[in-house]
Amino acid sequence: MGLCKDTAMILSTRTFGESDKIVRFFSLNEGRLTGIAKGGKKSQKRFTNTLEPFNCVRIEFFEKATASMVRIENADIEESNSGLEVDLKKVCIASFFSEFVDRMTREKERNEALFETLRTVVLQTKRVELNYSDILYYELQMLDHLGYLPNFVRCVHCGIELAEGERLGFSKEKGGIVCLACSRFIPHRRYPQGFIPQLASYSPDKGRTTEAFERMGRDILEDFVSFHLDVRLKSYRLLKKVAG
Amino acid sequence: MLYPEPIERLIDHLTRLPGIGRKTATRLAFFLLNAKDTYTSDLGKSISEIKERIRLCSRCFNITDIDPCHICRDEKRDKTVLCIVEEPSHLMVIESAHPGIYRYHILHGVINPLEGIGPDEIRIPEMKERIVREGIKELIIATNPTMEGNTTAHYISELTKPFEVKITRIASGIPIGGDIVYIDPLTIKSAIDNRRSM
Repeated sequence: MGLCKDTAMILSTRTFGESDKIVRFFSLNEGRLTGIAKGGKKSQKRFTNTLEPFNCVRIEFFEKATASMVRIENADIEESNSGLEVDLKKVCIASFFSEFVDRMTREKERNEALFETLRTVVLQTKRVELNYSDILYYELQMLDHLGYLPNFVRCVHCGIELAEGERLGFSKEKGGIVCLACSRFIPHRRYPQGFIPQLASYSPDKGRTTEAFERMGRDILEDFVSFHLDVRLKSYRLLKKVAG
Repeated sequence: MLYPEPIERLIDHLTRLPGIGRKTATRLAFFLLNAKDTYTSDLGKSISEIKERIRLCSRCFNITDIDPCHICRDEKRDKTVLCIVEEPSHLMVIESAHPGIYRYHILHGVINPLEGIGPDEIRIPEMKERIVREGIKELIIATNPTMEGNTTAHYISELTKPFEVKITRIASGIPIGGDIVYIDPLTIKSAIDNRRSM
């Protein structure tokens, strides 16, 4: 306890009272935290533009065992969000991943890999135009870091490893693929041959995918996340509308 | 209960006002108790009237008691320039610095995907209609220089490109009387990028 110094991604902020700000941030060493920045709305010296969503900052905060919120003392920008605001789609992507991390993590649960993925996705969103396949790639990466990655290799019922050509049925309830034999009594959705292996192994450097791939990938993850994690993200509706 | 029930109830109501604690609320309650009857009845009437009579102007969405509001009715203002602001309170600030010059359009919010607020949830469609209907030639976008305010400004500038409207954005930089030493790098960059010739 006491004064902590850490690197953090700002997830969201809201005004509290006349001049304070409540800030939710995901730090490298402490995980997700909520803090109060006294004078955060008005102070021209300590915070000005540092406590803005999607900024990566070096943050100093006081933590008390008895308090539910930390007290943010200082923040300096390491990487600013500047460059996202020029395109609504970019802001929607950054918002989606920030909200994803915010809703899917517990307070004070350290996850270094998740932090790095969030930092990378915000940086990439600023630099290049991400397509929906890239969004799916980063979403799968985050699910993996959180321990929720769907099983794309073995049948989720009998456990048998399936060849790539046999990976056709996906059960959102069971959280992974099902073999032909198990698919007779397990509710599932059938996808075209090659789609599931392509989704599982996709990375942005593999180039552009088809619209059908993006649509199916979106459906599969949307169903899986909403069924298992019961999370409705406010930014997702707008992202879908903007990203097409 | 320390005080008679009507006084306790008034204290409870006053405590809900911003910046008012129980001690101040008690002081105010006793002031009202000792005030003249005309004052308390006028105060009560004023409070109920703001709920009954205040509404949004059908053109600019400013808060008003008459429709269109005083600003929209003012014939002396430039009809071709529209200043876009987030909230009615922002209009008041700009109006106090530049009285009687511009007409306004109040968005009642900014685009904020984190809160699920998109362009259709604020008064952007109505702004687009006004540009066509009123023959607007210039838009001054005066949203806050925050992530959400800047996103809204960029979205409006993209949206209104087909209308051949001049788009300007309020400047951001070093405040008057400020000291460069204490200004953060982003603000300095903005001030240098948007410098003007003298």
